[in-house]
Amino acid sequence: MSTTTSAPARTGRQAVRKSPHDAKRGRVQQRWLPWAFLAPTIAGMGIFTLLPIVASIALAFFRWDIISAPTFVGFDNFAEVVQDPTVRVSFLNTIVFVVVAVALQLGLALGLAIMVQEKLPAWLRVFFRSAFFFPLILSAASVSIFMRYLFNEQFGVVNWLLSIVGIPAVPWLTTPGGSAAVVILVYVWQNFGFSFLLFIGGLASIPVETYEAASIDGATGWRKHWYVTLPLLSPTTLVASVMAIINALQVFDQPYVLTRGGPGDSTRTAVMVIFESAFQRLEFGQASAIGVILTLIIMGITALQFRLSKRFVFYQ
Amino acid sequence: MSGTNGALREFTRRSALTALGAGIVGLTAASWPRLTGTDIPGRGDNSLSIAIMGTAADAAARQKVIDAFAKVHPEIKVKVQAIQAVDWKDFFTKILTMVAAGTPPDVVYVATEGAQLFAEKLAHPLDEYLRRDADHMKEYFADVHPSLVEAFMYKGSLFQLPIDWNAANMYYNTTALRQAGLDRPADDWTHTDFRATLAAMKKANPKDFTPYYWTNRLFGGVVPWLYANDTSFLKETKSGGGEWLWDGFYPNDPSRGLRSGGYQWLEPNADDPRVFESFDYLRGLVKDGLGVRPEEGGGSSLIGLFASNRIGTTPAGGYWVQGLHEAGMTEDGFDVQFFPKWRSQRHQFGTAGYAIMKTAKDKDAAWEWVKFSSSLEAMRIVFPTPNTTPARRSMVNEQLYAGTGPRHWKVFYDTLDRFPTTGPIPAPPQQAAVETALMKNVSLAVSGDERQLKDALNSMQRDLELALRRQP
Repeated sequence: MSTTTSAPARTGRQAVRKSPHDAKRGRVQQRWLPWAFLAPTIAGMGIFTLLPIVASIALAFFRWDIISAPTFVGFDNFAEVVQDPTVRVSFLNTIVFVVVAVALQLGLALGLAIMVQEKLPAWLRVFFRSAFFFPLILSAASVSIFMRYLFNEQFGVVNWLLSIVGIPAVPWLTTPGGSAAVVILVYVWQNFGFSFLLFIGGLASIPVETYEAASIDGATGWRKHWYVTLPLLSPTTLVASVMAIINALQVFDQPYVLTRGGPGDSTRTAVMVIFESAFQRLEFGQASAIGVILTLIIMGITALQFRLSKRFVFYQ
Repeated sequence: MSGTNGALREFTRRSALTALGAGIVGLTAASWPRLTGTDIPGRGDNSLSIAIMGTAADAAARQKVIDAFAKVHPEIKVKVQAIQAVDWKDFFTKILTMVAAGTPPDVVYVATEGAQLFAEKLAHPLDEYLRRDADHMKEYFADVHPSLVEAFMYKGSLFQLPIDWNAANMYYNTTALRQAGLDRPADDWTHTDFRATLAAMKKANPKDFTPYYWTNRLFGGVVPWLYANDTSFLKETKSGGGEWLWDGFYPNDPSRGLRSGGYQWLEPNADDPRVFESFDYLRGLVKDGLGVRPEEGGGSSLIGLFASNRIGTTPAGGYWVQGLHEAGMTEDGFDVQFFPKWRSQRHQFGTAGYAIMKTAKDKDAAWEWVKFSSSLEAMRIVFPTPNTTPARRSMVNEQLYAGTGPRHWKVFYDTLDRFPTTGPIPAPPQQAAVETALMKNVSLAVSGDERQLKDALNSMQRDLELALRRQP
């Protein structure tokens, strides 16, 4: 038995003995290099996200019209906002909008996702995935301008089509009910594609064996979806609903372009009031106060969703 | 061999990283003017920057005026910055954003809607310059109606010189009128005559024809009806002062006694019974299918609809003529008449002109631009077609409307002469909030029953109180 005393053959870079200087450089690189790569993102987040958030919170305690110097007013802005009936109505509108629009958005997205995933051949699936996602990449303002023409009471295509089947002209955008319906319709049409794609992904991740087992146990049709699809899709549903609710709480483009919040305050939303306070009334402090309240509401609802999710989300 | 490959790989990666770094640095350097915004016209040099509402094409169209100005003032460099906006409110918002960003323009083209906002917070009064160049400016004021000038007075000082303007007159489709068996309405037609005209038009025209089309906005919406009924949704008063201007430039004007230091709108007036009466009249038109429920927006689709004979009447200013002409309407296809009379025949108008910003780098140079822009030479360059009404009376002539119509183009300037109390758009410094308060309640007010109308006016009164709660 012989032992080898010679050092093992040195190969490649491992074989190069590091000098103390190289070792130190390596440690420095190891410590700082990740931060160097992260720095642009951190700087961007700091400048464009965190700083405005902090500035906005601070601004909520000042009266400022852009031109004059800000004046500290304590909680006056919050008090005025709470007493302002327009703000109250706009928050109520937003809540109603979120409930209806998110329910429609998720319901439509889930229904279509199941239909597309199950019933259609592969090439048609690809087509519908693209078709349903397409509205999302369009500018909400452009879509809303286009929709305003479609829903014009006198000259719009929608009323022209209705007139063919004998239905009299509907004042879509000039009555409270009509305008709210159009805003929700346009919003849901434009946004359900995102939830649809999430559900498609979720459905694809459900193992076929689970359905086969369910079939062996006698589950067919909607029972299969009720007892297999929905529970296994619950994590996706949670993500889709959280994102849909956060987005819907911030709705602005569609009501602003379609109805300017009218008639009356019927389609005025919380973000519209923030915009009007800041850029039309030049009350940036009040706008910030409304923004802070809206942020707290969004955070509260999201936290509630995650808390309740423990009861209905099923993780495999 | 492997060692060689490793070294080569290390060398290549370093080279690539170096090249990438150099590329980033190079790109950053090349795009530095864009990143720092110094490529924005007028920024980073001593040019006089002029902000107008419009597109890049509009800015280019001003080049002829800039060229003419350069001949007179070669020492002043001018750059026009066109800012695209949906309406004046949107434009002012963008200017305010520039102010907040510390990059305000030197001169801004401002319409009546923003005149008091600018006068109160942003603009420099023209008084000292007008006094200094009084001899030169006399020709301008002799050619411009004092009502337009008064609209730019604020607390006794003048902040802008009117360049163009428009009154809310009533356009009518001559084909629709002829089909109804009617002649041109009389100059002093009343609101009841107007309603009868609409009813006759409706009867004689197809089902999809709209006798009266109007949009929900501050100009040409409900306000002309309020003015005709000798009221408004804001209490209108006038401030003192301004004698220096009226005595200096309009001493012999027949309406001298009416002139003031500027309009004031300090309190809401939506609870005035005449406001209710005016809204109720419009509600009646909507209810009987003679007029549409007013739409939000600027009525951009309106010209095409009017030109295709689907609309009978609509309130608009001289700015509509060129649009109708371009939409294919012949000069006999449409005409214009004064707004119908009610308790008065006071009209509503809006005007626009350049305001010098308080922050302007060189106010004297800015004044030279304002003065030149108000000259006949500059205004002839800017207004070759009737796409607005020039503020100078001498320019509103046969030649301007030749080939486009309308036949009674004299109505445009006669509005000011015949009705000297004709007033500007009610636009206090809080105009944006006031406009929102008006617009948001108009549709509700005219679209339901009497109860809904009362509720909408109560809501408007409350909203206006909020809008006006902080007086400057």
